[in-house]
Amino acid sequence: MYVICKVDEKKCNGCKLCIWACPDPNVIVFDPDSKKISIHQARCKGCGLCVAACRQKALEIDAV
Amino acid sequence: MTRRMFKISAGFEEVMPPEYRELVEKGPFEKQLGVAELGTFKELLEEHPLCAGCGLALSLRLTLISLPSPEDTVIVGATGCSSLAFPQVAVHNIHSLFGNQNAVATGLKRALSLRFPDRAKDVVVIAGDGATCDIGLESVMHSWFRGEKLTTIMLDNEAYANTGGQESGMSQLGTVLNMAPMGKKFKKVAFPEVAKAAGCVYVAVAAPHQPRRLERSVRRAILIAREIGPTYVQLYTPCPTNYKFKPADTLSVIREQEKAGLFRPDEYLSPEAAAYIQQLEEAKG
Ligand SMILES: Cc1ncc(C[n+]2csc(CCOP(=O)(O)OP(=O)(O)O)c2C)c(N)n1
Ligand code: SF4
Ligand code: SF4
Ligand code: SF4
Ligand SMILES: [Mg+2]
Repeated sequence: MYVICKVDEKKCNGCKLCIWACPDPNVIVFDPDSKKISIHQARCKGCGLCVAACRQKALEIDAV
Repeated sequence: MTRRMFKISAGFEEVMPPEYRELVEKGPFEKQLGVAELGTFKELLEEHPLCAGCGLALSLRLTLISLPSPEDTVIVGATGCSSLAFPQVAVHNIHSLFGNQNAVATGLKRALSLRFPDRAKDVVVIAGDGATCDIGLESVMHSWFRGEKLTTIMLDNEAYANTGGQESGMSQLGTVLNMAPMGKKFKKVAFPEVAKAAGCVYVAVAAPHQPRRLERSVRRAILIAREIGPTYVQLYTPCPTNYKFKPADTLSVIREQEKAGLFRPDEYLSPEAAAYIQQLEEAKG
């Protein structure tokens, strides 16, 4: 089963901790207007490092 | 970083891969970007085949954005997990015979200084712990003894990861791995101390759990190597695959090892290097 990371935008406060924890480039994208992140899911390996880094519990690993 | 380096020749826009076009349009060129801006531009590292949760991949990603002038940088790599990512790196890089990295870097640095006497060209070695402290030890040490103006960065996952998990000099005492079933019989080599004694004017130990500190270490190491002498940065980059922990735990493993006293972030500057950094910081205001 393939797993990827999903974000709950309502909980995200744009702190960027997840971006600094992700071993893969260009996966987590920060939108300077909304001050929230989005995830390029085709590039995500589902490792969960971002989930562990997020203090807002805005991220989870789920089936594709 | 200048956009001209990656500009697409007229008429070829349509045939270039989308990732390349994205790099030209949204890359870090001509902007002063660092770790703080990650997530807002196209990175110099493209999708790579390293394992999920790889601490080495995260450190490489952070290191690339910390280069003070990527367009004037040549990276010299070595065999190991990182060499699987280098074909995906948009900075000049060289791969040569395993263990030769600091010898290759020496020749390259000298040639670049002759060819571009008025332009700072940074030569940065990025290699594994096996490549740096074991198999390439002789070329690493002699480049330091000779005072070559190079930066050597070790991606220390405390193992020969790419070949299935043998112990390296940098593995901790007692380490058991797939191909080290008896447990390591001697202590982790105190390589930062070796680097100081061998002539490095800047030595830092960092890890990706503190990305800003990692960035500062890499930047300082490269700037100091331009003017003063050899520099060394040791990055602790845990490997979930060989150490058999969950990929989501890579950063907590660093914190646990730090708590246990088995990893200690550190920074050493020789008096000359410290004076130079102070001068740069004062000039910046
Ligand atoms: C001259 C030579 N000797 C041995 C090897 C086999 N080899 C490939 S990768 C590797 C281990 C690399 O360990 P390290 O430098 O720590 O990198 P890692 O894979 O852990 O990132 C070895 C021994 C080789 N490719 N070339
Ligand atoms: S760590 Fe969490 S709160 Fe912070 S930017 Fe990422 S998803 Fe948003
Ligand atoms: S799960 Fe891993 S690869 Fe996916 S976004 Fe999070 S840190 Fe990046
Ligand atoms: S084996 Fe370890 S160091 Fe190599 S890519 Fe996988 S997680 Fe990274
Ligand atoms: Mg290694």
